Amino acid sequence: MKKLIVACFLTVMMASAHATPEQDRLALRAFFQERFPKLDLNEMINGLYAFDEGAREQWLEMEDFPPYEIAIEEGEEAFNKPFANGKTYADCFANGGMGVKQDFPYFDVGTGEIITMEYAINKCRTDNDEEPLPWLVGELAQIAAYMAYTSRGNKMNVVIPDDPRALAAYEAGKEYYYTRRGQLEFACENCHMQSAGMMLRADRLSGMLGQATHWPVYRSKWGEIGTIQKRFQECNSQVRAKPYEAQSQEYRQLEYFLSYMSNGMELNGPASRR
Amino acid sequence: MKRNLYLPFSALLAVLMSPASAMAADADEYVAALEKAQSQICEAATRVQLWNTSEALLEEAAEAAAKGNFDEGIKLANEAALHAELAVATAVREKKNWHLYVPK
Ligand code: HEC
Repeated sequence: MKKLIVACFLTVMMASAHATPEQDRLALRAFFQERFPKLDLNEMINGLYAFDEGAREQWLEMEDFPPYEIAIEEGEEAFNKPFANGKTYADCFANGGMGVKQDFPYFDVGTGEIITMEYAINKCRTDNDEEPLPWLVGELAQIAAYMAYTSRGNKMNVVIPDDPRALAAYEAGKEYYYTRRGQLEFACENCHMQSAGMMLRADRLSGMLGQATHWPVYRSKWGEIGTIQKRFQECNSQVRAKPYEAQSQEYRQLEYFLSYMSNGMELNGPASRR
Repeated sequence: MKRNLYLPFSALLAVLMSPASAMAADADEYVAALEKAQSQICEAATRVQLWNTSEALLEEAAEAAAKGNFDEGIKLANEAALHAELAVATAVREKKNWHLYVPK
């Protein structure tokens, strides 16, 4: 009898220490709804523009002639260009790669790896004896922009299968997000939850919810289209933490967690930001 | 990056060609400081907490040592080590605390 009580106690403890991803997601939405009672949470796919009327107007003007349009066109061309062996990117993806962005990143049961869309694009290349492309900007980001464009309007649908390795990857990403780091000792959470909607020097801070729906992004500061992991690197550097390599295990886990938090939200990539 | 972490050849030369034994002792001290910093940096990196300052400081340390300026090299290596030590302290604390910030 005693044993049983102890066992139950442990189960309860475990459950409270490890909320399920779905419990996390709902709690996060509740957090933002409480912070911003009047805000339609679905607006958060537009990042800081959900909070800043003035900046939003400027941004909408910019969207009249979207600066990422050329990237989509170039991405489409690159996407359709056959490899030396005659195969194409379309052969590597479900549904020929069209309208599939909502399923990324996913957990690959065979290898135990988290597969982001950029990771899958380069894997498609190396599987077909092509050189991998640089991760952060350029052709890879353009192809990702085209694939994101064909997925617009779909709802984010990241799956965490019932596999301890998938859950461990999710938990690692979550721990990364909430851990203070760098010389300034800031967690992602400090800026994108506690301070969401507030100003940090010249920038208004976006909230975590919806932060993964609109990538890749054309940033005026970059002058080109770049991937979400380029942004991760910048956010790490800002607090004087050493950034990870793009598509490192750490960043793929982080992207897995961050994307799951946006589940159910509409995809609106590629996007433009200041 | 990696090659900068070792005592550069030119620094070794500076030591070998120097008649003053005080200089040689400084070089040994520099190597000791360098190794201590490297091991602290590894510790911080293993804990997913490296600052972006430590390795840069170590590169500057190597540059100073390469010019035979071991005092400066030691100072910079110690600073690199301190930054890594502080990162480890954050790691230890955050390992306990991070889940407190997750909305329940
Ligand atoms: C010191 C504050 C700070 C920290 C800490 C920080 N960021 Fe940021 N982040 C910013 C600023 C400033 C911007 C640009 C304004 C905006 O869009 O929020 C930004 C933008 C972003 C964006 C793009 C938002 C969009 O709508 O396009 C993402 C994604 C992001 N950060 C993720 C992260 C992640 C993940 C972490 C933790 C590794 C992190 N940030 C840590 C300040 C921070």
